[in-house]
Amino acid sequence: MASMPLSRSAFIAIFVFALAGGLTLTLNDYFVYVVTIGAIFATLAVAFDVLLGFTGYLSLAHGALYGLGAYACALLTARYGLSFWAALPLCGALTGAAGALIALLAFRTRGLYFAVLTLGIGLIGHQLFLVLPGLTGGVGGYVGIPGPEQPAWLPLRSTTYYALLALGLLFITLMAALVFVRSRLGAECLAVREDLTLAQALGIRVASARLAAFTFSAVFAGMAGALFAAISSFIAPESFTVLGTGFQLVALVVVGGMGTLWGPILGAALLTALPEGLRVAATLSLLAYGVLLLVFIIFAPQGIASLISRAARRLGGRERAP
Amino acid sequence: MSLLQIRDIEARFGGVVALAGVSLDVPEGMIFGLIGPNGAGKTTLINMVSGLIAPSAGHIVFNGAKGPWPIAKTVRRGIVRTFQQTRAFLGLTVRENLRIASVHSPDPACVEELIDACNLGDVLDRTARDLPYATLRHLGIALALALRPRLLLLDEPAVGLTTAEVERLGALVRRWNATGITVLLVEHNVRFLMEVSQRVAVLDRGRLLFEGTPEECQAEQKVIDVYLGRRAADAED
Repeated sequence: MASMPLSRSAFIAIFVFALAGGLTLTLNDYFVYVVTIGAIFATLAVAFDVLLGFTGYLSLAHGALYGLGAYACALLTARYGLSFWAALPLCGALTGAAGALIALLAFRTRGLYFAVLTLGIGLIGHQLFLVLPGLTGGVGGYVGIPGPEQPAWLPLRSTTYYALLALGLLFITLMAALVFVRSRLGAECLAVREDLTLAQALGIRVASARLAAFTFSAVFAGMAGALFAAISSFIAPESFTVLGTGFQLVALVVVGGMGTLWGPILGAALLTALPEGLRVAATLSLLAYGVLLLVFIIFAPQGIASLISRAARRLGGRERAP
Repeated sequence: MSLLQIRDIEARFGGVVALAGVSLDVPEGMIFGLIGPNGAGKTTLINMVSGLIAPSAGHIVFNGAKGPWPIAKTVRRGIVRTFQQTRAFLGLTVRENLRIASVHSPDPACVEELIDACNLGDVLDRTARDLPYATLRHLGIALALALRPRLLLLDEPAVGLTTAEVERLGALVRRWNATGITVLLVEHNVRFLMEVSQRVAVLDRGRLLFEGTPEECQAEQKVIDVYLGRRAADAED
């Protein structure tokens, strides 16, 4: 999808999202909830793929950025009375600014040290959610977050409305990511991922490309967090741990297919549906993620996206053969 | 007037002196060859002119402005380099490689011309990692040329190429030089360098040993003693 013309990608995305939205109208509340959570994680994964898949940097701070968006939404709506629609862009702007600051610090390091430094930031973020009860509700979490206001003219169950919002945010994130990776900055990010020295030798503005990718992914991670808070009405620090959300994000993108944008959506769909489908306890879902990650790293390191592309090419080849 | 003036450049790495006060003038529009035995400091000089490493002392003057500058600024001023070990974005297709190189090109349309000149038309959708060695070499040069440099630094572009491929490379270098690009060529393939260069400098153990025309260079006894004679003897062995 990332290599298709933008208009074609947009057309396919509109078709798929319209289909998913239509299907959501027919599902019961439980499945609608699974779709909602899957779409929020897919939004996070697409945003994360811009940084990991297209720029080559593994951030373990994104669980904390997701949490920052969620707590910011909780405070802005529940404490300060803003509407969700006013809070959403503010949360994106706040996490974008936090992401830019983290990037300025973290990009002073390279490779493994970058991942370790962002791990530290992820841990600090999670601890702050725990030790600032006045702002976050502490261990007990933040209760009573108002949901997104539903227009009176829209005769939908609130769960279905939330699912459509989550799909809508995913669609916007995907379109924004497609525009970003096709832009001049996107080309610079690819160069940075592939060969930093050559990128510099070709006059690529390495610092601004990396900063843009990190900020972009932070903005949408924050908005995903804001939507999660609004539709859950309750958030707690355990939703934003490095080992939980931080690790989950890596799994979604690797299993789905790094650097493809649509692969992480498939990864999110699979890894959200699987624990639900198997009805395993929350503690076992991390085990399922770990096993899937191992299987994909060993047998299909380029993820589901490459398996589908390969199968499509094989089918196409067979059809063309006499 | 010289496009590039190198003035008293020194490079020290701990106790090792890689360049000891080298001064050179590269006139605009010229193909300027730089030769010397291994360890003479040729690549170090290229690294300094291109901004990849900073000199310990001395400076350069490029197009009237005093440098050196960090690599990104150097590129913006019109100095672009290739690498001894060919560098391209190996995980991307040739088309994607050229797209990236054209991002900062003052003339992105020149990519089409480069595809033709560097014989890349048939491999546009192949991943750079899968290209034959000579094609990868040409891609590396095409990436640099896409930036429409005023000064192109070629670091051993003929390494590993067959005689026919070297001839094609020579034609390519002359063709781009004819469009106004000044070339500073570092090369161990003396025959190739002497054929394409209009002026040659010889470095030995970090010092400038000789500078003159290719004919003068090949007749100069001290160059024969430290480099050309040794290479001829090596070739006979």
